[in-house]
Amino acid sequence: MAGLLVLGANQVALGDMLFILVSFIVLALLVKHFAWGPVTKMMDARSEKITGDLDYADQERSRAEKLAKEREDALKSSRAEAVEIVSKAKESGETQKKSIVSDAHSEAEEVRQRAKSDAAKAKEDAMSDAQNDIASLSLEIASKVISKELNADDQKSLIDSYIKELTVHEAK
Amino acid sequence: MDDKYKFIDFLGLRFNVANDLSVLVSAVLVFILVFALSRKVTMRPGKAQNVLEWMIDFTNGIVKSAMPDGSGKQFNLYAFVLFLFIFVSNQLGLFFQVKVGGFTYVKSPTSNPLITMGLATVSLLLSHYYAVKKFGFGGYLSNYARPVKFLLPINLLEEFTNFLTLSLRLYGNIFAGEVLLALIGTVAKSLGAVTFVAAMPLAMVWQGFSVFIGAIQAYVFTTLSMVYISRKMEQE
Repeated sequence: MAGLLVLGANQVALGDMLFILVSFIVLALLVKHFAWGPVTKMMDARSEKITGDLDYADQERSRAEKLAKEREDALKSSRAEAVEIVSKAKESGETQKKSIVSDAHSEAEEVRQRAKSDAAKAKEDAMSDAQNDIASLSLEIASKVISKELNADDQKSLIDSYIKELTVHEAK
Repeated sequence: MDDKYKFIDFLGLRFNVANDLSVLVSAVLVFILVFALSRKVTMRPGKAQNVLEWMIDFTNGIVKSAMPDGSGKQFNLYAFVLFLFIFVSNQLGLFFQVKVGGFTYVKSPTSNPLITMGLATVSLLLSHYYAVKKFGFGGYLSNYARPVKFLLPINLLEEFTNFLTLSLRLYGNIFAGEVLLALIGTVAKSLGAVTFVAAMPLAMVWQGFSVFIGAIQAYVFTTLSMVYISRKMEQE
């Protein structure tokens, strides 16, 4: 065995070195072709896929967070909107109520005013009717009493002055 | 030991049949192992693929610890095949020895210095090749005079010591393991049944330890190969 270590000795099987060189290279090539290539390719593909999946998950999560925030904002704003609508409705109801009441007030005032003026006019009419009636009546009475045809116009002016005096007296 | 070998002379070279057959058996075993484990390569690995990927990750880790900057990726395959081949070679002689007519035909190929020297040659040639490829031939030569000029002889000497330590460490460990196994074997045969029973646990213990040594030596050889390659590829 010791002779094997002495290079150049007659018995050294240097062919073994060549043999192992060749067989090692062939083995490496075969392993590369049948196992190493496909497996490392798959390992690379897997690590790539994992990185991609992680990236995708991150992206999706941030998107979901954004969406949730948007929803929350929308909910908040819709609540505020609802409050605003209710308060606006209340306000408009109030103003409507006020306007209705004031309308009613003014209408009532008008009605009262009209009634007043109607009453005044009716009184006046009645007064003038009465005036006329009294004039003719007194004329008739006077003519019957005096039995003399008095001038109607003179009589009328006489009655008028009398009535005027009466009304002035009444107004007092 | 007193093993006898058959030699074949071919094209002016002498071939040791035992070495060559053992190398062939180891290579075929490695190939069968790897081939069987890589039949169904899928994105979600099965058991076999997991085992293979675990081995690949292991040797990739060896390369990465020597070359952390990712430049060692091209050596991943080499480290993988080297590790598996040496591991299988180391274990081969423990359970599979063929002797016909006094001549040994199959044993651990790594228990022969020429085989380990062949493997060391591959590693060191690779380191020189990639150093020349990276720095150019001038740069490669000037690296021998770094970091200071007077280290040139030491650096040159280192090339030979690297080669010898790398190959002879592996050879020594495996050869010693086989020698001791053979010794235990002769003890077992020496006095009939008594020694046979006595030698049995010894042989078992030593075989278990040899499996351990074989694994460690395969790891050491691969690691040192990668360290030598990485040292050649950087400028001090």
